[in-house]
Amino acid sequence: MRAMHPLNWLVVIAWLAYVAIDGLRRARGTKHIEGYFLANRDLPWWAVGLSVMATQLSAVTMIGTTGQGAVDGMRFVQFYFGLPLAMVILGVTIVPFLHGAKVFTAYEFLERRFDAKTRSLTAFLFLLSRGMSCGTILAAPAVVFSAIFGWPLGWCVLIMGVPTVLYTMIGGVQAVTWADVKQMVLIVVAITAMVTVLLVRIPVSPSDALHLAGATGRLRVFDFSFSLKNTYTFWSGVIGGTFLMLSYFGTDQSQVQRYLTARSVDEARSSLLISAYWKIPLQAMVLLIGVLVFVFYQFEKPPMLYNPVQEQKVREAQPAALASLQSRYDTVVAARLDAARAVSAARKAGDEAATAATEEFRNRDSVATAVRSEALALVEKTTGQQSKDVNYIIPRFVVEQLPIGLAGLFIAGVMAAAMSAIAAELNSLATATVIDFYRRWYRKEASDAHFLAVGKGATAFWGLFAMVVASYAATLGSLIEVVNRFGSFFYGSILGVFILAMIPAARARGAFIGLIAGMAAVGAVNFGAPQVAFLWHNVVGAVTVVVVGMLVGMVGGNQSLPATTPGNGQR
Amino acid sequence: MTEPNDDSPTAGRFRRTLVRVMSVQVVTLVLLWLLQHRFSR
Repeated sequence: MRAMHPLNWLVVIAWLAYVAIDGLRRARGTKHIEGYFLANRDLPWWAVGLSVMATQLSAVTMIGTTGQGAVDGMRFVQFYFGLPLAMVILGVTIVPFLHGAKVFTAYEFLERRFDAKTRSLTAFLFLLSRGMSCGTILAAPAVVFSAIFGWPLGWCVLIMGVPTVLYTMIGGVQAVTWADVKQMVLIVVAITAMVTVLLVRIPVSPSDALHLAGATGRLRVFDFSFSLKNTYTFWSGVIGGTFLMLSYFGTDQSQVQRYLTARSVDEARSSLLISAYWKIPLQAMVLLIGVLVFVFYQFEKPPMLYNPVQEQKVREAQPAALASLQSRYDTVVAARLDAARAVSAARKAGDEAATAATEEFRNRDSVATAVRSEALALVEKTTGQQSKDVNYIIPRFVVEQLPIGLAGLFIAGVMAAAMSAIAAELNSLATATVIDFYRRWYRKEASDAHFLAVGKGATAFWGLFAMVVASYAATLGSLIEVVNRFGSFFYGSILGVFILAMIPAARARGAFIGLIAGMAAVGAVNFGAPQVAFLWHNVVGAVTVVVVGMLVGMVGGNQSLPATTPGNGQR
Repeated sequence: MTEPNDDSPTAGRFRRTLVRVMSVQVVTLVLLWLLQHRFSR
């Protein structure tokens, strides 16, 4: 593998230094917890909106989703089809509730509306799942960089983790938001530059390139089949995706805290609409990068295995088997190159010739894919690990094929995506720790300086926790998976509790019992019908909570409502 | 729903925003469908 040019590293280092130093500079003015956690509710809508997008877009998007585009095409974009509608619904429901209630956390609102145990349980579930996910968000790019550049995993974790923890801890939400704005700009520039470079470097016209991608099904965006088993269909995206996005943007503190910093309810709404307008086109561009990389490798010799560490292990353990597969792969890839060139020539000649040439190209690509699948099976058999080769396609392409400067820009973009997602999560984890637990249960009265110090300590703690989880990502693999799986049990259920909070007739007991019932229902679906795609879990959880919550509330009779109930004045 | 004292402005704003956002989404989806239709035959 080719090493990165020093100039690329200069770009990466300069960017990391710029973000960290500017973040630290933003520490000024954060002397009170309102400033540290909520930027005195005085941030402009566009900065909040870009921060919302940057929080959602992690390094997994930049390396995993692009890789998915290369092997699976564009259909993953359906996952986001529910997002615009969810943003509009949130703009008139949860956003005015939370912003108007002047809370620090979404869970704080639940105590005002219901009771302390509902608040504590939802906040605890948030800390558990986000604490772990913070580690995985950091681990994903660190593991890939470690394999690509041959550095120890711990160093890769520290390079991204330390500057992020520093500026988040010292600068609070101000630093996080303004860093997110810069990170988001860099990410968009990097994505646009990648698409442009790919279109220039592919030796056929953009139309021919898309035709080749389309011939292998990679431009098939829509799947209208109504199957609960398929994860990405139009319907799971529109229905399940809407529930998921309502949960994520409406009840997850890592997102709620972004728009609580906006100047007004209207500005908070506007910030969410940036995602409503731009998320699907941006995600389509991300997937298009992968599709174009696939086309690029029709004309350049592609690696059979993209993960250099696993390739080395197989080479040492099974040299003959690997050499045989490599030889078959080289032959079929050469044949596929001829077929791709023939398609381009035939399209100029006419429809009939193009159809035959396309068919031939498709057959040869199927053979190449089959040989690669055999190689991946050999990797899994030899190493005993899932290959996850898809995550290495784009980083290898970047390091080996992009011109000087642009490779550094893209690597900086991946780091930016990881850092902005982690920063927002650390910031929200610290806020929930201090507001929902420390101040609520341990020390109700203290000076702002005290809570500020505890907030900084909590940020440092969660940052350290994330870096430890990320450093042991390989060992903790199954544990992280369990926690992530468990996380999906309560996402829709927490949304159900917030929906109940907006129904005047709902009662505290109903909300708590409904939450437990919702999680149990999702658990039952998960274990009883594992073939049901996870996007539907959110629908099951939310609907169960609302139905059970209302039934329990009705059985429990007319209890008096807390002061902030929507039915008695507080909006 | 959340501000009963000014229900009609809220409802009106919601409708306008919904129409705008969904119009942009429809255009995006049509473009993606055209991409699929043009090149996936």
